[in-house]
This record gives sequence, structure tokens and C-alpha cells, in this order.
Amino acid sequence: MDDTSKLLLQRLVRRIPTQMLKATLDKWGRLTVEQRQAMDFTQSKWALTQKLLSVCEENKLTLTHLAELEMIHAMENPNQGMWYTFQLLEPENDAQSVELTQFKQQFKCHLSELLRQMSVKIKKHTDEAVWIRIALGSSFSKPNHLKPTYVVHYLQTPYVFVRNLTSKLKPLLSQALTLATRHQGVKEANLSGRNLTSIRDLLMRQYQQVFPTKYRSPPEEEDQPVLNQHIEKEQGGVAAHRRHMAHQAFGDGMLPQLQSAVYMLDTKFRDPNNRTMTEREETFKCVVKFSSIDLLESLRSCASSGIASAPVTPLLSSIPLKGRNYFVVTDNTPGPSSQGHQTQN
Amino acid sequence: MSRLNPFAKLPGLNTASVLLVESEEHFQQSLAEALVEETSVTVNVRLAKSFPLPIENDESRPRIDLVVFIINLTSELSFQSAEASLKYLEPGYFLGKVCFMVTNARSSSVPAERLDAVRRLAASLHCPLLFAEEQTPQGVTNAAERLLTILKAAAGFVPFTTPLYLSNLTRCTLPPDIDQPSFD
Amino acid sequence: MRTPHNGAVVQRRSKTRSYRQSYRSCLGTASRLGLTPALTARRLNASRRAAKPQNDKVNPEHLALLVKAEWQLSYVTPLYQFRHTQLRSYSRQLAAFIVAEKQQGLAVEVSELHNSYRVSLSVVQGLTESEDDAETVLIQIHSKPMFARQDEPQRSVWSGWLTCVHGSPEYLRSLPKDFTCLPLFGSRGPEYLSRVVKSWFQKTFDCCFGSLEINHTSLQWFAALWTDCHSQSHIQHLRMLWTIPAAPPLQITYTVDHQDAWDLWNSVRKGPTAAVAEDAASIDLEEVTGFLQALKSHFYRHFRLDLSAGTLQQVSTAVGSAKSSGRIKMSNSRHVIATLTLLTECALLKMPI
Repeated sequence: MDDTSKLLLQRLVRRIPTQMLKATLDKWGRLTVEQRQAMDFTQSKWALTQKLLSVCEENKLTLTHLAELEMIHAMENPNQGMWYTFQLLEPENDAQSVELTQFKQQFKCHLSELLRQMSVKIKKHTDEAVWIRIALGSSFSKPNHLKPTYVVHYLQTPYVFVRNLTSKLKPLLSQALTLATRHQGVKEANLSGRNLTSIRDLLMRQYQQVFPTKYRSPPEEEDQPVLNQHIEKEQGGVAAHRRHMAHQAFGDGMLPQLQSAVYMLDTKFRDPNNRTMTEREETFKCVVKFSSIDLLESLRSCASSGIASAPVTPLLSSIPLKGRNYFVVTDNTPGPSSQGHQTQN
Repeated sequence: MSRLNPFAKLPGLNTASVLLVESEEHFQQSLAEALVEETSVTVNVRLAKSFPLPIENDESRPRIDLVVFIINLTSELSFQSAEASLKYLEPGYFLGKVCFMVTNARSSSVPAERLDAVRRLAASLHCPLLFAEEQTPQGVTNAAERLLTILKAAAGFVPFTTPLYLSNLTRCTLPPDIDQPSFD
Repeated sequence: MRTPHNGAVVQRRSKTRSYRQSYRSCLGTASRLGLTPALTARRLNASRRAAKPQNDKVNPEHLALLVKAEWQLSYVTPLYQFRHTQLRSYSRQLAAFIVAEKQQGLAVEVSELHNSYRVSLSVVQGLTESEDDAETVLIQIHSKPMFARQDEPQRSVWSGWLTCVHGSPEYLRSLPKDFTCLPLFGSRGPEYLSRVVKSWFQKTFDCCFGSLEINHTSLQWFAALWTDCHSQSHIQHLRMLWTIPAAPPLQITYTVDHQDAWDLWNSVRKGPTAAVAEDAASIDLEEVTGFLQALKSHFYRHFRLDLSAGTLQQVSTAVGSAKSSGRIKMSNSRHVIATLTLLTECALLKMPI
């Protein structure tokens, strides 16, 4: 085993929690039953690494085998790292009939045509997702297995999720993807997050949504504990209305977990109290980033508690509606009430 | 503009009513629960986020004996909201039927200027200013006890005293050197 | 080296006493009702001079040690019998104290410990603004890593400073003889060393340390003061971090382009702008709050969310950054004095009277 393999194994053992290590190794299936039984998982990570190293030497396992192990771990723990989303455009007639073997073959073939030094592994996960691990090398060096790129794609859907994408790989990857999935192009979908399942749910609308209606739904007060008869809320109706508006904008029940939303504002500064700035020609440029451990939940709580005034601005409610969390906001038409938001790229 | 009037309605028998106004609607709930525990008189608590109060409740609302503005010092909005609400009260309320209650006054992120502003407001309206601790159950009970003392006087349950008399004794006063900037 | 012990103290005594008594006498019994003033009625100045870059007199090497690092701030009560002339002996004492603290709990004496810490206390010449300010003291602790080789050089493991820039003359002169006021303490390095250094100062100079948080008003001041520096040094951007009490808590980072921040700042300035009258440029609290208000209203217009409902946690520009937890970073050596002046004022507000 070379140094890179040793380093990769070391990092892997360090990253995988001890209680999960056994299951991951079982799944890997590169160790014999005796070897697996000989492993003592109560030992320190360092001792485990040494033990595994010697076993791997014994079985003559190589870097590619270790890459497999890493991929198993990555697939088991999809909610790590930052995932970025891409959307495939203009499907061709046969796009709906692409199946796994064909995709695998096409994808590998297109990529290897573009670049010699590359290691690609493709696996299908239980939930229909196709996981792709790409380790990229340069023309003078071997593929770098320490910093692989992960791509997740659900066949027959237009969405692709990517982690650790390098600028070098980006054009190659988009080309291979469009060809293999029988599409014409690909663009960034402006959605990113740590939680892969959440951003997938958000894009594929797999969460409970409320559709905007004109009519007030029956008051949601029922689930609140009955207050003492001597305590009465003066503005209970208003509060219920606020809650209703919040649920209309952000949906009911559990929401997909997003960590942040970014707005690039490039709009005129308008303030009746500040004539100098209002009359200024240039726009006021700023970047606003909202972040929270569960952004949509926070925003819903802001709206229902009244911190954010009702109705919720389309800027915020379009995060779940449009399934994106990166926006460029500009004044698109001159005029006093023009506060549209226009999306770029 | 419909204003709240202290004497537009008849009082209920052995009943005192208090209106808690808090823009964040956070502390008022636990405070209300502590207030209605009182057994010697029936305490009615009305909760509001800000004034004006909805007109449709005018009928059902009892005579309000005491209006309490709860101000959370860590939020600038809390003070601004209370300040804006004041104009919806009939002047009669300021004869001993309004008080201010401040929370989070000891938080390190609170600039002293904000407490000064509340103090100034309370002093200018001749109203008492109370400090409360909202984090602990003990603090909530204490706050409720203090409010009950004022409420009972405001509702006329305490013999030989009037709300105006009590508020004259307890109203917030400004220290003479509040405007002194720093040392020089 | 000078340790300002004020000769004029004796004559001023009568005035000083009345100054003190005015606070004491107000402390009545009914403090729960807000009848009394808070313990001290002193407030931050409502107006201050714009930052002027003037650090020519400070040794650039010393200055370089202060900038580009993040410091955890504390306030310190006046030091009793502190002499700027004795720094060398203090260095030795502090080094011995650190070793003694390390030694605690060890059964055998470890000889290596003796020379493992090198402490130096030195004066940062010129980091003062007025006659009454005591000279800034820089403390550096060098040590070797735990398992270092013999010949490996010692590295700086901890540093800190005590300063007083433009302290209120009235307060400084009201101090009794033998007290030196260096109210602002910044430290950087492992927490246990900070603790040991503080406890040595407490024992030696009979003073007290307390954490110095930067409150909402001071953060607003920093936002304005640093933006005001833009005419002299590029601020890159003005970044503010707000937290909103939603569940779970929401953080909002609001970053404004440098030119737009500068234009907005000039539009809220009342008097002649800084560019017109360099000397007379004083900034009022009113302008500062107006600036922040304008930023908030722009935000509200887009998101219909009032930032006033939350708290300002952090302000940063290329000139410096300040956090409400009491961490400060001065990135530009030209504006160190302005930053330290405001912080000294904050620290002095914590002083017992």
C-alpha cells in the first residue's frame, strides 16, 4: 500500500464514528469473516487504523478499494458537506427512458474521453439515487482520492446535486451529465445546503405544502391549550391571522432544513426621510444573508410572531416556492412601486 | 381613534382587571398565569400586543383598572411599540392606572441609554417603573406580586388609598444628573 | 516613563468628594421601583471627534503587535502602586508566578519548568492622547511547546496589553495618589494564561478584572466611526450581524458596499461633512442612530422584517471588527487611537465610584 492509501484509510477511520465503523466495514465486504471478528472496536482509533492497515496489506487491497469504503460512508451520511444543485435543461425525446446501465456507461465514456487521469465510481443507492464519486487528477498526477467530488442524480429528474465541485471539473461534468442524461444543457439551480435530503425534498416538492387560497382556513387555535377563563387575548384574531399567513407562505408541519439564504440587493435607496440618497442615481448595493440551523422554520416563526410584518414578502416566501436560496434582486422597472425581484443566471 | 377609557364601564363585583401590553407576547403569558392565581379578588387579565385594541372586543372587555406596558430592554422595538401605544389611552389612566415593567435590564448587551429612555418616559407620565426577572419562575411570581399590589389599589380594593395617591409615592423620578454625559 | 500621579489631587479633594457623594447619597431603599438612578448615571459621550489618523509617534513595531489580531477585552480597576519604571522586575515576578501556578498539583518539582516561560513587560511609547493618560503596557509571554527539542526557539504563546487612551480627565484626576488607571485590558492566547496573568495583577496591584462586553450603542458607534474612516482608508465593506429572537434563532448578515455606506453616512451627517472641515468634524449620537436607522429602513423595505426586533452582535469593516462578546480586532494601524478611545470610555463606565 502506498502513502496515499494509508493517508486515506487514516482519514476515513478518523471520520467514521466508532459505533458505525463495524456496520460500514461489513457493508464494504473486503474483509473476511475472521478478520472482521478479530477487530476490537473498543480500541482507540489509532490502534484500529494500525490493525486495518495490516489487514489491508494482507488482502492486497488498493486505493480503489479504499475509495469504495469512502463512498459507502458518504452514501450512508448524505448530510455532510455543502451540496450545490444543478438543473438539467431541455430534455430530448428519449430522456425519460434513460436507465442505469446506459447512464453509467455513457457517463464514464464521456468523462474519460475528456480527461485521462480520473477515477469514477457509480453506485445506485436504495432510494433510486445514483451516486457518482469522481477523483480528479491533472495531466501529470494521479487522481486525487483525498478530495473526491460527489454527484447525486435521480434518473428521470432534472436535478443534480454536487459536493466538492472544483472549477476544473465543472465544465467537464456538465458536459458528461447532459450527454448521459440526454439533455441539452445544465444550469445552476441556486440552491445549496448541508442537508441533501432536505434540498432534494424542497426541489421535488416532497414536503407538506399549503396552496394559497383566498379563504381563511378554519382557525388553528384548537391545538392550543385552553387558556384560563380569566385570561383573554385581545388580539387573538390578529395572531391567528398572522399564523395563517405564515403557514401559507412557508407550509405546515415539518419543513426541509436549509441553513442559509443569500440575497444580492442592487436596488435604489428609497427613504422619504433621506432626500439625498433617494435622489442619488446609483443603486445601493448590499448582500443580505439569513442563516439559522433551520432557516424556513425560523422564517415561519418570524412571520407568525409578527417580527416580520404580514404579508410575508415574496423575497422570503420564494425560497420554498421556487426552491432556491440564492437571489439577485434588482429594480426592473422605474417607478415608485417597483420592487420586483428578477433572477439572473 | 378609539381610546381606552378608565371610567366608561362599571366595575365588576370583587373583580380587578389588568391589561398586559407587550409587543413580543413572550413574558405576558407566564405573568398572566401567575396573576390569576390570586384568590382574594378575581383577577381578569387581558393580553395585547399593542394598541389600538380591536373594536369588536369593546363590548366583552371589562373595565380595565390597570394597564401594564412590558418592555424588553434587549429589543429596541419593544420600547418603540410601547411608546406608540400610549396615545390610545385616555388621560384619566395616567392618574395612577398605568405602570411600566422592564425585563432583561441586567443583560450586558443592553445600552444604558435604553433604560434611560424608559425611565424618562415613565417619569414624564408620572407612572411607576418596575423591574422584573422573566427567566425564572421565582422572578415571575415576584413580578406578579408587585403588580397585584398596584392592581388592588388601582381597582379600589385597598381602604384609605387611591390609585393617584399610590402612584404619587411610587412614580419614577429622574435622577438629577441623568443628562450628564460621561464625566465631563 | 511616567506614571501620572497627580500632584493636583490634594487641592482637588473637596471637589472630588462631592462628586463621589452625589452618587452615594442617591442610593435609597426603593430601587426596585426605579426611583433611584442606576449605580452610576454616567453615559457614553453623545458626541465625539471623528477618527484622525495620527499614529506617527507610536513605534511601528509595537503597533504591528496590536493590529491584525483579535483581542478579548476586560476592564481593570485602577492599579495600586504600579510603576512604569519597574517593568523589568514585574516581568521576573510574573514569570515566576506562572511557573508556580503550573507547579501546583505536581508532586515533584520539575526543573524544566523554571526556564520554560519568558515574560516581558514593556511600554508602548506614545499610545496616549492626553496628559493624564498613563503609558500603555504590553505583556508578552514566550514559551516552548510541550515536547520541543532543546534548541528550538521560544515562541510567543500569549500577549496582552493595558491601556488608557483619552481617558476622562476628571475621573483620572479624581483618583487618590498611588493609583494608576489603565482601564482597558486586551488579551490573546490560552485562557489559563489569561487567568494567571489576571490573578497576578490582582494580587500585586490590588485591582479587579471584569469582562467588557461591547453593547449595542458602542457597536453602532463603531459602525459609524469606521465608515467615517473611508475617506482616509478603504473600508471594503460595512458588515453587520444581527440576531433575531425567532425559534430557532435567526442570524442576519447585512453587508453594505463601501461606497454606498460612505454616501449614506454623508447623507445623514448634519453639519459640514468631514471632507469640508477636518478639525471641526465631530460626530453626534443622533447622526449615528440616524445612519443605523436608514440601513434598517432599507432592509425593511425589502424584507418587511424590522431589525430593531433583534440585537446587533457584530460590526466589521476592513478597519476593524467588534463583537458584542467583547472581542475587538483593529486591522488598520492608522485608526487604532480612535478605536481605543471609545473602548477606554466603555471601560471607564465600569469603574466603581
